[in-house]
Amino acid sequence: MLIEQCKIIRNEEIAGGIWEMEFSAPGIVSYYTGPGQFLEILLDNKWSFTVRRPMSIANVEEKRITIIYKIFGRGTTLLTESKVGGILDILGPLGNVFSGWQGNYVPILVGGGVGLAPILNLFRECQKHQIHSKLIIGAKTGREHFMDHDPSNGIFLTTDDGTLGNPGTVMPSLKKVCADIDNPMVFACGPLPMLKGMQDFVIQNKIPAQLSVESYMGCGTGLCQGCAIKRRNVKEKAHSYHERYSLVCMDGPVYSASEVSFD
Amino acid sequence: MTDLRIQIGNIEFKNPIFTASGTFGYGNDVPDFVDVSKLGGIFTKSITLHPREGNPPPRIVETPSGMINSIGLANVGVDHYMREMVPSYSTIGTKIIMNIAGSTLDEYAEIIRKMESISSDIVGYEINISCPNVKKGGMEFGVDRSLTAELTKILRSLTERLLIVKLSPNVTDIAAIATAAEECGADAVSAINTVVGMSINPTTWKSNIYTVFGGLSGPALKPIGLAAVQKIFHSVKIPIIGIGGITGSLDVIEYFLAGASAVQLGTVNFQDPSTGERMIDELETYCKDVSIDSISSLVGKVKN
Ligand SMILES: Cc1cc2nc3c(=O)[nH]c(=O)nc-3n(C[C@H](O)[C@H](O)[C@H](O)COP(=O)(O)OP(=O)(O)OC[C@H]3O[C@@H](n4cnc5c(N)ncnc54)[C@H](O)[C@@H]3O)c2cc1C
Ligand SMILES: Cc1cc2nc3c(=O)[nH]c(=O)nc-3n(C[C@H](O)[C@H](O)[C@H](O)COP(=O)(O)O)c2cc1C
Repeated sequence: MLIEQCKIIRNEEIAGGIWEMEFSAPGIVSYYTGPGQFLEILLDNKWSFTVRRPMSIANVEEKRITIIYKIFGRGTTLLTESKVGGILDILGPLGNVFSGWQGNYVPILVGGGVGLAPILNLFRECQKHQIHSKLIIGAKTGREHFMDHDPSNGIFLTTDDGTLGNPGTVMPSLKKVCADIDNPMVFACGPLPMLKGMQDFVIQNKIPAQLSVESYMGCGTGLCQGCAIKRRNVKEKAHSYHERYSLVCMDGPVYSASEVSFD
Repeated sequence: MTDLRIQIGNIEFKNPIFTASGTFGYGNDVPDFVDVSKLGGIFTKSITLHPREGNPPPRIVETPSGMINSIGLANVGVDHYMREMVPSYSTIGTKIIMNIAGSTLDEYAEIIRKMESISSDIVGYEINISCPNVKKGGMEFGVDRSLTAELTKILRSLTERLLIVKLSPNVTDIAAIATAAEECGADAVSAINTVVGMSINPTTWKSNIYTVFGGLSGPALKPIGLAAVQKIFHSVKIPIIGIGGITGSLDVIEYFLAGASAVQLGTVNFQDPSTGERMIDELETYCKDVSIDSISSLVGKVKN
C-alpha cells in the first residue's frame, strides 16, 4: 500500500453515466494481489472532499490500472472532468481478493451497477487462467450497458426495464444459470438490495459465494474505523472488540456470504 | 539548525508534531509507508476498561471542510492493549501517550492502576473527558469543572507519568475547565476534541450518523480550536497541545502563536497518514525564514 501521484491516460464515458479511467500507477501495481482490491482517490480541492473515494480495480495491464465508475454525486461528477495528462492522488492497493475461483467450481460472476468493476476484473482473470466462468451483469436500463448480451458465451445482461438482455434484476438469470451447473460458486458485487437477495439465495441453496460489499469509507487504512459492517450470526452477548462489526477496508471488501449481515 | 524540541512536564519530545487520538490507531498498526519515528509522539485511540465494539454504521459522513464521526470508542480494551500492543512500543522510535476513556471515575482509575502495574515505554496518559458519565445521567465529565477536578486529582495520585487532560469544546467556558485540570496536577491540557455536529439526508430525512449526533473534525474546526487555545493560554501556565483542523505547517504556526506548545493532527491522517512527518521539515524551513532558533519562542506570540 502506498500513495502515488498517478498520471491519467484515458477518461471516457463508455455507457450512459458509466465512465472508465486508466492511469499509470507502477507503485500501486507492484503491490497488487488480484481482483477484489480497490483504491482510494483523493479529489482535487481536497477539503471540499474530505474523504477519498473508494473505487475497485477493474483491470491491471503492465503498470496501468483501469477503474470503471458510475456518476453518483459530487465526487464522481468531478472525476469525469479529470483531463488526460492530469494527476490523481491515489492510495492503494487496499483490501482483500476474491478467492476459490481457481478451485473445482464453475465461477458465476455477478455485477450490478457500480459493482461491475471488480467482477469484470475477475472475469478477465478467469479468462487468463482458461477457467470458464459465467458473467451476469445487471443495470437499470440498456444504455448503462457497454458489453454485448451473449448467452452462448456465458455472458448475460439484464435490465430492470427490459430494454436489453434478460428483463428484471440479476436474480432470475442467476437462478437459471445456477440450475444448469453442478458445482457453481458465486462471486458478486453490487448495490445492497442485490447483495441481500443474492445472500438469501446462495445460503438457501448451499451455494458457496463471495460478496464484495460497500460501506461509507473514511480512510481505507483502518485508522478511522468508519466503514464498519455488521457480521452475521453474532452471539447476542458478543461484547469484545471486532466480533459484532467488521471493517470493510481491512477485513473486506470481499466476504463469504455467510459472514456479513445487510440488515 | 532550528530547535524543534519541546518539553511537557519532565519529558522532552524531539518535535511538536503528534498524532491525535482515534486517528492513528494504537501507533503500531499504521500503514508501512508511514515513518512514525519522525513524529514527536503518538496519542493512541481511546482505550477503555473493557473492549468496545463501537457504534452501528453509519459512523462517519463528510461535511464541508471536515467530517462527522460517531465511532463509539471501538477499541480492544486495556487488558488486550497491555498484552498485545504495549510490548511493540519499545522499538517504535517515538513517544507514546495512551489516551483513556471511562464512564465512571473508577473506570479511569482502574485503567491507570493496571497500566502502572506493568513496566512500559508509555510516557503519559491523555484523559478523554468528553465521555458520558453514567453516574451523572450521561453528562460528560468534561463539561463540569468540579468533576474534571476530581478526576484529575484521583488520576494524578496514581501516576507520575505525564497526565494530559483533553478538553471538550462543547462547554461555555473552556478556560475554567483547563484551570481546574491545572490546579489538580495535570502536566498539560490538549484542546480541542470534536464539536457536536449533525448532518441530514434530505432525501431520506434521516441523520447521516446512526447515533444522530457526532463529532465534527477537520479544517472546519480550526478557528474554534485556535480560539480555545488562545483563551486557555491566558488562564493557565501548563503547556497546551493544540488540536483541530491542522492540515499543513502554517496551521501549526497559527496554533503556536495562539499559545500551543505542541499540536496533534487528526482528520488529515485519513487523507494521508504521512502528513506529520513531512511537516517537520517545513517547520524547520519556516523557523529559518523568520530567523528564530527555537520553535518554542513562538508560543503565544500572536499580536493582539
Ligand atoms: C470498496 C468499494 C469499492 C467501490 N468501487 C466502486 C467502483 O468500482 N465504481 C464505482 O462507480 N463506485 C464504487 N464504489 C462506490 C463509490 O465509492 C461511491 O459511489 C462514491 O464514493 C460516491 O462519491 P460521490 O462524491 O460521487 O458521491 P457523494 O456525493 O459523496 O455521495 C453520494 C453517495 O455516495 C456514497 N458515498 C459517498 N462517499 C463514499 C465513500 N467515501 N465511501 C463509500 N460510499 C460513499 C454514499 O452512499 C453517498 O450517499 C465503491 C465503494 C467501495 C466502498
Ligand atoms: C474518526 C475519529 C475518531 C476519534 N476518536 C477519538 C478518541 O477515541 N478519543 C479522543 O480523545 N478523540 C478522538 N477523536 C478526536 C480527535 O483526536 C481530535 O481531537 C479531533 O478530530 C480534532 O482534530 P482534527 O480536526 O485534526 O481531526 C476522534 C476523531 C475522529 C475524526
